[in-house]
Amino acid sequence: MTHAINNTPLDAHYWSAQMSAVSAQRDRASFMRIYDHFAPLLKRYLRNLGVPEPEADELVQEALLTLWRKAGMFDPTRASLSTWLFRVARNLYIDHVRREPHWLPVQEGLDRLDHAESARIDSEPESSLDQDFLLQAIDRLPAIQAKLVRMCYLESKSHSEISSELDMPLGSVKSSLRRAFAKLQRSMRAP
Amino acid sequence: MKPTHHLDDATVISYSSGALPAALAVVASAHLERCATCRDRLLDADRIGGVLMQQQRVEPPTEEARSAMLARLDIEPAIAPEPPAGDMGEDHDPDRLPHALHPWFGHSMRALRWRRVAPGVQRIRATGIGGGDLMLLRIAPGSKLPLHSHGGSELTMILDGAYDDMLGHFGPGDVADLDGEILHQPVTSPGVPCICVAATDAPLKFSGWVARTLQPLFGF
Repeated sequence: MTHAINNTPLDAHYWSAQMSAVSAQRDRASFMRIYDHFAPLLKRYLRNLGVPEPEADELVQEALLTLWRKAGMFDPTRASLSTWLFRVARNLYIDHVRREPHWLPVQEGLDRLDHAESARIDSEPESSLDQDFLLQAIDRLPAIQAKLVRMCYLESKSHSEISSELDMPLGSVKSSLRRAFAKLQRSMRAP
Repeated sequence: MKPTHHLDDATVISYSSGALPAALAVVASAHLERCATCRDRLLDADRIGGVLMQQQRVEPPTEEARSAMLARLDIEPAIAPEPPAGDMGEDHDPDRLPHALHPWFGHSMRALRWRRVAPGVQRIRATGIGGGDLMLLRIAPGSKLPLHSHGGSELTMILDGAYDDMLGHFGPGDVADLDGEILHQPVTSPGVPCICVAATDAPLKFSGWVARTLQPLFGF
């Protein structure tokens, strides 16, 4: 069972090894393995947020260049590569598309705090198994909660935008999201 | 000193998904700088984003896109730049505002130039923020604020001093993450003024005629 999981290309250890090769040896083959898997996912994510095609291509390159430059900052005990790249792409989206020029420096500051922390405390590595549990938990969410979670992450809609679009009171939008988050967090802590 | 009042789960999700209006995001970032608990919760929320991103169906990249990427690597310096040295260690200085507030209000609490907006209430409003309203408030010790609720969301972080309301005691680092339905009346603690940073995505609503008289003064 463990063996089968370790052999899937989505395995956290696999990506962690590619990242070490990028950071320690500046290994282009490893970098391109990461690129081949993640670039299309990042592009789809940005296109869903309404980023036009040429700009999305540019941001995907920018995200992967950030990975090339900062591979040494990647800490597999803190986050999986998909989580890390989601953060990078989300931050670039807010910086370039929403034009909030102070967002990136603030996020870099928060990253450094996280970095200092995980060096200090004995944190649990995020394994591919945790990701599987999380994926299953997302699939099990009640329809409305799943819809709200997707509207947040995949359309980057604010609570008030969701509230007016679905004609749902703001308080209900928030309480549904709270319930969804509590369930998903429990799935990440599953024994 | 660990904060005891944290960001709402719904706010953490919104921050993680890049959807929190700019003014609210500034206050959330300021709290995240001071709160390891909320940074861990944010990481959980980012994991959801990572998994949803992975779940999408996509085609492999084109040869053209791959060679464009490799061409970008060619012009990168061979050695990865060192991450810039952290300058977040100065947070023990009580005069220093959280980093997220620097672009809007500067670095130093002492250097702030307050404007009186009502008896016992001073304010500095941030200009040029894209989404919502962002301001610093300085409220005299032992003051009772008018009873008010919020049309949308309000996020307040205490920087100095403290206040109490029906939700509890709020001291430095704590955030009050309120939505439209909550009607509250904060009372600041005696001793030092209560300084906080507040963001709203909609105008505040004060109740009662005294408050209605005050509202134009606040300019909310």
